[in-house]
Amino acid sequence: MLRIQVMVVSAILSTLCFYSAPSRAEQSTSNSAISSLPEWSIEPSTIQLTGPNATRGVLVHGQVQNGRLLDLTHQVRYRSNNPERVTVTAQGVLTAQSDGIAEIEVRWNEQQKIIPVRVTETENRIPPHFENDIIPILSKYGCNASGCHGKAGGQNGFMLSVFGFNPNADFDALTKEARGRRVFLAAPERSLILTKISGSIPHGGGIRLKSQQREYRLLEQWIAAGAPAGDPEAPQVTQLLIRPSERITNTLATQQLRVLAVYSDGRELDVTQIAKYQSNQESLAKVDESGLVQIGPVPGQVAIMASYAGAVATFQALIPRGKPIAHYPDLPEQNFIDHYVHAKLKKLNILPSGRSKDAEFLRRIYLDLIGTLPTASETEIFLDNSDPDKRQLLIEALLARPEYSTYWALKWSDLLRVDRRSLGQKQARAYYNWIRKSFNENKKFDQFAREILTLKGRIQDTPQANYYRAIGGAGELASNTSQIFLGIRIACAQCHHHPFDRWSQRDYYGMSAFFQQVQRKGSPRGEIMTASGNPTTKHPRTGKPVFAYALGTAMQQQSPKGDRRETLVNWMTAKNNPWFAHNATNRIWAHLMGRGFIEPLDDVRETNPATNPDLLNRLAKHFIDSGYDFKALIQTITSSAAYQRSSEPNSTNEQDEQNYSRALLKRLDAEVLLDAICDVTGRPEKFPGVPYGSRAIELWDSEVDHYFLKLFGRPSRKTACDCERLTEPTVGQVLHVLNSKEIENKIAHEGGKIAEWTEQFPENTRLIDQVYLSYFSRYPTSVERDLAIQYMADSPDNRRQSAEDIAWSLMNSLEFIFNH
Amino acid sequence: MIRTKGFCDGIQRRDFLRVGSAGVFGTTYSLPQLLDQQTAARGNTQNNRSLIIVFLRGGLSTIDTWDLKPDAPREFRGEFSPISTNVPGIQLGELMPRTAQQMDKFSLIRSFTHGNSNHGPADHYMLTGYHPLAGFNAGLTPNNQRPSHGSIIAKKLGPRGSVPPYVCVPDMHPSCGSSYLGANHAPFSVNADPADPGFTVRDIVPPLNLDPRRAKARRALLKDVDLFQKTAQGQANRNAKSVGIFRQKAFDLMTSPAAKTAFDIHSENDKLRDEYGHNSLGQSCLMSRRLVEAGVRCVTIHHVDWDTHDNNFTTLRRDLVPQLDAAMSTLFRDLSDRGMLDSTMVLVTGEFGRTPRINANAGRDHWGPGFTVAIGGGGIQGGRIVGRTNERAERPAENPYRPEDLAATMHTLLGIHPKEEFITSEGRPVPIVNDGQFIQELI
Repeated sequence: MLRIQVMVVSAILSTLCFYSAPSRAEQSTSNSAISSLPEWSIEPSTIQLTGPNATRGVLVHGQVQNGRLLDLTHQVRYRSNNPERVTVTAQGVLTAQSDGIAEIEVRWNEQQKIIPVRVTETENRIPPHFENDIIPILSKYGCNASGCHGKAGGQNGFMLSVFGFNPNADFDALTKEARGRRVFLAAPERSLILTKISGSIPHGGGIRLKSQQREYRLLEQWIAAGAPAGDPEAPQVTQLLIRPSERITNTLATQQLRVLAVYSDGRELDVTQIAKYQSNQESLAKVDESGLVQIGPVPGQVAIMASYAGAVATFQALIPRGKPIAHYPDLPEQNFIDHYVHAKLKKLNILPSGRSKDAEFLRRIYLDLIGTLPTASETEIFLDNSDPDKRQLLIEALLARPEYSTYWALKWSDLLRVDRRSLGQKQARAYYNWIRKSFNENKKFDQFAREILTLKGRIQDTPQANYYRAIGGAGELASNTSQIFLGIRIACAQCHHHPFDRWSQRDYYGMSAFFQQVQRKGSPRGEIMTASGNPTTKHPRTGKPVFAYALGTAMQQQSPKGDRRETLVNWMTAKNNPWFAHNATNRIWAHLMGRGFIEPLDDVRETNPATNPDLLNRLAKHFIDSGYDFKALIQTITSSAAYQRSSEPNSTNEQDEQNYSRALLKRLDAEVLLDAICDVTGRPEKFPGVPYGSRAIELWDSEVDHYFLKLFGRPSRKTACDCERLTEPTVGQVLHVLNSKEIENKIAHEGGKIAEWTEQFPENTRLIDQVYLSYFSRYPTSVERDLAIQYMADSPDNRRQSAEDIAWSLMNSLEFIFNH
Repeated sequence: MIRTKGFCDGIQRRDFLRVGSAGVFGTTYSLPQLLDQQTAARGNTQNNRSLIIVFLRGGLSTIDTWDLKPDAPREFRGEFSPISTNVPGIQLGELMPRTAQQMDKFSLIRSFTHGNSNHGPADHYMLTGYHPLAGFNAGLTPNNQRPSHGSIIAKKLGPRGSVPPYVCVPDMHPSCGSSYLGANHAPFSVNADPADPGFTVRDIVPPLNLDPRRAKARRALLKDVDLFQKTAQGQANRNAKSVGIFRQKAFDLMTSPAAKTAFDIHSENDKLRDEYGHNSLGQSCLMSRRLVEAGVRCVTIHHVDWDTHDNNFTTLRRDLVPQLDAAMSTLFRDLSDRGMLDSTMVLVTGEFGRTPRINANAGRDHWGPGFTVAIGGGGIQGGRIVGRTNERAERPAENPYRPEDLAATMHTLLGIHPKEEFITSEGRPVPIVNDGQFIQELI
């Protein structure tokens, strides 16, 4: 018992300190504290309620001095002048009671405003429609969630389709199975669905819905009406609207959302209470089941998704830091990128970090563009160069180096799945060479995609055909191609409507149909790929044919004639395609900046908005205008002030990782880190099956057996997901660099760099400079130099060993392991 | 937050008290208002416990070992006969004579089921107690959507002595990660096979040719040289911070005499090594006992090759089951001899069982609908049979138990409240166990 009491006490304590992090000054800006406001308004200004128990919620906006809107919906007082006609809750939700006209009075600070209300058709008893009214309730209360009755096989014998994607099956499950006990027409209140959901008999899922709730009554009404399926031609939800759709809001503020479903007959219904909500970042904002958003203490940008009957809508909140910056400086802009980044930072009251030092920039641009550290002499030359254009010149020089194509081929080989195990040695190698050659000649990205996706003929002559061999069936090809080239994940729509996006099963099979013609056949001249004929794709649930059509377009009456893939690629690479250029741009941006506009990179959704959509659009346009030129895009991004910032945070941006206000740290890729270790020690690695001296970024085969590469998260290329490449640290990694004999042998090798430098530089100062220039791509600070000189002075007899120790400690430092 | 999604636990969010130490460890946990007093009281006194998971990846054929059906038709019952054990009334398969003599030390849940017959998701289900959600990618290491049992134990019970709380032997199963519990509670993977004659744990000590004084001087130097670690740059980045945490753990491990002793399997007496069996499974079991003795909280043994689609009977008879029989029987006896059995729970399971109906290749395929799990020690009453399957061992005939129930039982006995919540990186509270029932028959 004692233990319980202790927990309760600590519960109270921690409730008190749960949101105690922000300062008092910031707290006072949340909406409850605003006492007087010059302007306030109500949305909508008049209300029409149609049908029995029709509801509609209002929003009350207050305007603060700086033009921002503040949510007063829960702060004002509401009163109905005729509660027999219409009632209103303290949260501003109106419910129809009887036909006629009424007024809602809204009071705020001695001021009063009136909402005229017209109520009609309250006597019109249309029973609830199964698909339109009942399934949304099952979704809202989690009955058809994948962890409950929606999982394959259902729960305790009761199975629903996950997220309600199959209304017919759900209707049967409710009304026809279990000998009619689930809905009991003779006595609706004794139906299992009601007794279970309200917990009046034991339910493994607990009490989901209380009998006083509107949704419970709706279920009851539906059963009382004979549990009808409803008119199959009834209007369907075509669009979901969310109000407001965006706000600039204070930390710790609240915002009530209203969600309206638009039906195919033009009707708009308030579904706020039945829609489901999800925050894309709960540390920034949470949302409860009534659509009330609670903004947290951290500044940033957050999206709240509402979903209802397969439609989705998003509310976006921009949460600036609490303290405005008094005289926001004019920040220098290198190109258009900075214009957009700075505009956003200014809105957020964030100041960017300063410009990187030359040494920082040098190390970063080498690692990002060619996956290779600069040598000590390259570093010295760059640091001593006084040409104001030297950064620009360096970018151009690196883009022309052979390591550029090697490094980017490695990255794309991950996505395009150059996997020896599934392709065989010879084909995997040919496939890799094709990718590398494409980057070497800076093949335009639309052309690159076209050559991969539309080829036919002998596989031997067209190594990129291995894309098809690595992936397999039409459905897999559709989902992989969407993920790699459009950044869209449609795989879940193979089995059910995408839960967070608009993609339906039909969309999935529409994309699959583009690849349905593809066949690989043996022939005396080797394996041949063809794409012809007119095979049909069927919807797995309805059995109706699905013709090839692209995502977001309307399905035609037939599939395109000829090789359908041509049509797909024409659509993808058209200038107005909304995803193709954006996806490539986002991937490159993420690689260079440490965070994509959209994260995960390959999960573009309306409900996963970009951090800076204007900039993403502008950069994508730039990419299209350049003719899909990768190098030009890289050059533009790396020339920006945003790229060239220091990674050192200031007091305004230390929490910001979304808005490119500082350079983010990136752990070196497994291959890059291994090469860096080999380069600084002067001891190359021996890999099985490749010539001695080959570098790790040159390995075309992700199966090369190598402990270090596996330990540091080389991807296995089993999926098209960028997430396969791991940069997550482990104790094993740390131990390996600290203790492994492999690394010690490199540092202490007779033919290694330390041995060479101790001979070459008899003076300790110069020797230490050389070690720092090689390992950290900079000169040591005077403190570091003194420390190292002291360390060497402590054991003067063994200069080389001391130098090895210094090299070892540099290699184990974060500054070596991270790109910063 | 969607209040209802994925919560079949019957507890409404608003019924939770938010308790815990948000400020100190950066996490909070919650308890239902109706706190299970019994569990709480138990939890307080029994934090001395450890768990060894012997994970037989691929799927042990439990109809040939734990739950024989001699009266089933030929195409089901297989080639093996039942034998008696040291517990009257309990029979095991004939390939397990030594384990049969330890039957009083462990029990069998014969009515175990989870219905998933795919390797990746079933592995995750068994090793975390959570069925994976959409987007699960079994090919990743770690692939955890939820923390593994070992990470939960490491988080809740913390280290004991200078050894790491959670160790994987001989290497890490992909579902043994820490997920949102973070770097601090990830396992230490030995990455070497204790059955190897030259077995040493890789990289745990500096190279032998490095003078120990020099090694020490280097570590001191590293602290001074790595300024980045202390700067705002290092601190503002999660991965950089993790490296800092791991470096400290690495130093702890390197300087821990207990760890050195535990990993030195060569110092174990030869007779006992023989009894465990000179193979990966046997020596991993022995290593587990040594690690627990040194203070490790959870050891997960990752043993492969149990996917007997072809020639099930020959493979089991010739290789797999004799190894398991030696390793498991010796482990239970050894723990008991040392007085460690009450504080050490041992779970022996695959990710699922195998199809009762024998296939055309004299093999058995994947089977999640019904199989047996063996568990003993750490407060589990030995010599019991929980539940039973139907006459063909296809599915539970009574009292079905699922991975959630197993997780609730294990964590409760280890002193961890199964309904406590962890907060994910998105700030979402997720209970340690997804609505499992304590299996009363096991105590």
